[in-house]
Amino acid sequence: MRKLLSLIMMVCLFAVANRVVAQDSLSPQRKQAIDSLALEKVRDLSKYISIIGDKTTPWSDAQRVIERAAELFMENSEIGVSSLGKQDVNYYKVREYFDRLMQLNYDKVTIDWYKIQYVSDLVRQPDGTYVGIITIYQRFQAFDKEKGLVYEDTTKKDITVYVKRKETQIGGRLINFWDVMLGDIRVKETSK
Amino acid sequence: MSEIARKIKSIRWQHVMFTLLMVLMVAGADSCKSTGKLSKKERKAQIENAKKELQPIINGTSTLSLDEQQRVLNGIIDKNYNDPILNSLIIEAQQKLKAAFADQQKIKAQKVDVARAALYDMLLNKDNKSADELEKELNAIKSQNLKDSDLDELISKVEQKIRDMRSSGGTANIPVKNQLMNAFSSIANAAKSGNLSQADNIIQKTLQLFSSDDALVLIIISRNGNDPDYDKPTNIKRYLNLLKDTKASKNDIDAIMTDANGKIKELDLIKM
Repeated sequence: MRKLLSLIMMVCLFAVANRVVAQDSLSPQRKQAIDSLALEKVRDLSKYISIIGDKTTPWSDAQRVIERAAELFMENSEIGVSSLGKQDVNYYKVREYFDRLMQLNYDKVTIDWYKIQYVSDLVRQPDGTYVGIITIYQRFQAFDKEKGLVYEDTTKKDITVYVKRKETQIGGRLINFWDVMLGDIRVKETSK
Repeated sequence: MSEIARKIKSIRWQHVMFTLLMVLMVAGADSCKSTGKLSKKERKAQIENAKKELQPIINGTSTLSLDEQQRVLNGIIDKNYNDPILNSLIIEAQQKLKAAFADQQKIKAQKVDVARAALYDMLLNKDNKSADELEKELNAIKSQNLKDSDLDELISKVEQKIRDMRSSGGTANIPVKNQLMNAFSSIANAAKSGNLSQADNIIQKTLQLFSSDDALVLIIISRNGNDPDYDKPTNIKRYLNLLKDTKASKNDIDAIMTDANGKIKELDLIKM
């Protein structure tokens, strides 16, 4: 009798666990859509950073873009800054980083991000948030009016991405959406 | 004296009597009319006539319009014949006309709905029709003479649109979907070529198609049956600026929702 009871319990547990797994798993099509969405947000950020750093960007435009860029991040996120001459990496809060970027003391600055790809796939956490890491390479070039190119480096950076399904009510309609938030941007290596 | 007697004798008394009789009859008929009194026979004849007039109304075979039928019925009621059979026929005819008027209202409401939908389509001009084609359709709607204030308002808007199309000679003639897609790629291309003021101009022009700068924009990232996955909801001003900032337009238009003024209140996009 005891054996029978424990067998029934095991079957029940297995069924419940199976159900939970089924609920958590996303179809490959959906998963791909979310992966792409997170990558796209990082690409948007790369465009924003390029605009903020660009000395020809009007101040009002730069402020608007800083707002949009900051909205991509989770609260208290930090961005690492490195340079070839220094061993240490300085970390700044997102807004401070953008403000400093806008005020860099060069006549011309170009920032390009490339090789934007996942290094750690989005994985579901117990609270339902999907967390992954996207790596990027940043080419930074600074110019002086008279001297031309005065500084350049390439930095590999890791960006933690958080994706969570949320719902909002708009005009009486319930909209389910995927909210992509970026976390810290950590410097992995800096080279010439 | 004998002369007078001879003259009296020569009078044709039959003629005189006949003339007198006719005069009396005519006078008698006139006096009947003025008092409004009917002989029993005449009243009976009129009741029979009224019954005959009511029959096609009750059977629904009358060739008269509903308003004319109502006038006939009112005329019979006004006569107040007080005939039990005629009274029951009057009630039947009243019910029949009431139902017919209700049906007429229903049909009119349906026609108004169809016309309203057609007018909204004309405002959006999804099928890229010319001003002349739109005017032809509009005239067909106007000829129905539906007498509805909402429709009249929409008709004025379509008339205005047709005038705008003729005066602009181009852009207004393009369907909204195409106008938006053109605007999206133009903003991205202008930004890509470094012409930010041109991108801003297109953004301002495009915003005029929307009910407000805050008009909702939803972006479908994948469609799983009836349960689409969306990106975080945004608004049109932010979306147009995103196109400028990212220098790319990667979404197709899935649906356009307009308000009563024909302005876009919601735009649903889908990843290409």
